[in-house]
Amino acid sequence: MDGESMTHPNPQDYRSDVKPVWCPGCGHFAVITSVARALAELGLARENVALISGIGCSSRLPAYSTVYGFHGVHGRALPVATGLKMARQDLTVLVAGGDGDGFSIGGNHFLHACRRNVDLTYIVMDNSVYGMTKGQASPTTEADWDGSKLTPGGPGIAPFQPLEIALSAGASFVARAFSGQPAELTRQICEAICHKGFSFIHVLSPCITYRPEQRAYKDKVHQDWSQPASDRTEAFRTLLEDDGFATGILFRGSEPAAKPVERPRVALSDMETQFVV
Amino acid sequence: MDDLGTFLAHAVALEKESGERFDALADSLEVHHNPEVVELFRKMAHFSRLHLREVQDRAVGVVLPHLRPWEFSWPNAEAPETPSVEDTHYRMTAHHALLQALASERQGQAFYAGVAARTVNAQVKALATAFAAEEGEHVALLEATLSRFPPPPANWAEDPDPPNAPD
Ligand SMILES: Cc1ncc(C[n+]2csc(CCOP(=O)(O)OP(=O)(O)O)c2C)c(N)n1
Ligand code: SF4
Ligand SMILES: [Mg+2]
Repeated sequence: MDGESMTHPNPQDYRSDVKPVWCPGCGHFAVITSVARALAELGLARENVALISGIGCSSRLPAYSTVYGFHGVHGRALPVATGLKMARQDLTVLVAGGDGDGFSIGGNHFLHACRRNVDLTYIVMDNSVYGMTKGQASPTTEADWDGSKLTPGGPGIAPFQPLEIALSAGASFVARAFSGQPAELTRQICEAICHKGFSFIHVLSPCITYRPEQRAYKDKVHQDWSQPASDRTEAFRTLLEDDGFATGILFRGSEPAAKPVERPRVALSDMETQFVV
Repeated sequence: MDDLGTFLAHAVALEKESGERFDALADSLEVHHNPEVVELFRKMAHFSRLHLREVQDRAVGVVLPHLRPWEFSWPNAEAPETPSVEDTHYRMTAHHALLQALASERQGQAFYAGVAARTVNAQVKALATAFAAEEGEHVALLEATLSRFPPPPANWAEDPDPPNAPD
């Protein structure tokens, strides 16, 4: 990343006039701010960037940005983004969503996006709850969380581990940030965009309405991963010690990103010549 | 912080980010129909922009380096005069908003006082001392205003018809 030799646009240029309807205090505010700052820092032209999302409070990001956006179907942001990137290799494609959107209904797509290694930056705002539909347990909710009538006594299932799964499935860039540390989040988004391959950023982003206890995240997070591992095994070892609140870039691999297959174009006239006897 | 350009780059970012955040908080409270707090946050955003202009005037003729968002030497996760998002609530009162504004001005004052105390550059020291004194005036002003807005009753957040009624 070359930060010195260019003039930088104003981050506000990447923000639309639409006012976020998020609850005051929601962690997602810092994510749209950080995305805008990262795009400005990299000096990316708005028309060369697309932001794709699914459904959820977190998936509202495209509406709040001036880059191209697609507010898709619940859980289906990654297939849309994969298609777009394959068709338009020149675009910077960002994908945003929540833990419900990405790990529950969209969990299958998450696995295959990691293994395909398409050059996308996937930002998941994890608040361990379905915020938009009023507070049901999500795949990352603690087994004993008793906050929803739908899961009395808690969901009773061990939570999904996004970083371990991303690493296992083949993601070539894996990081964790906290919405309360927007400078670090901005750095990670810049690094992820510059990385050629599937980049996954797990953002701890409190839902102050349905998980008010998450306000305490700021006292729990600790920036531990100062140097990304380039070896997957080493990254797995680091995760064995993880308490879920370590932040930084965990892993940066060097596997080549997926490219569209160039198929020879067959014209109708070619076919006709083959029929000539 | 011993380089004048670097110091002024920090001062510019401090005021700019403060103004932008106060505006963002005002937008958010506007969506949630809390006009009293909106007015207060808009005023704070306006003051931040006035101070930004002042800092920019002082920076004329000085080359300011470009610092990436994560390269600033802030004492905490964000620029010191940026009010925190998580301290807002849709039913917050002017009292809460003033407390938030006061906390941000105090942090700004402490930042400049810290720079003034540590720098070896006489120009930076003089400017940081002046900025700390200005922030001190804002702190005093906000403290005086706060005394006219006593804390609301303990049940201020209670909503008989909450938008977040669980399923
Ligand atoms: C196909 C489909 N199933 C279910 C829903 C209902 N729904 C909307 S958002 C959502 C979950 C959102 O949670 P998350 O992705 O974690 O985002 P958050 O609101 O927490 O940011 C669900 C289940 C839907 N819109 N479409
Ligand atoms: S319900 Fe939760 S996730 Fe949705 S806007 Fe409110 S605080 Fe944010
Ligand atoms: Mg969620």
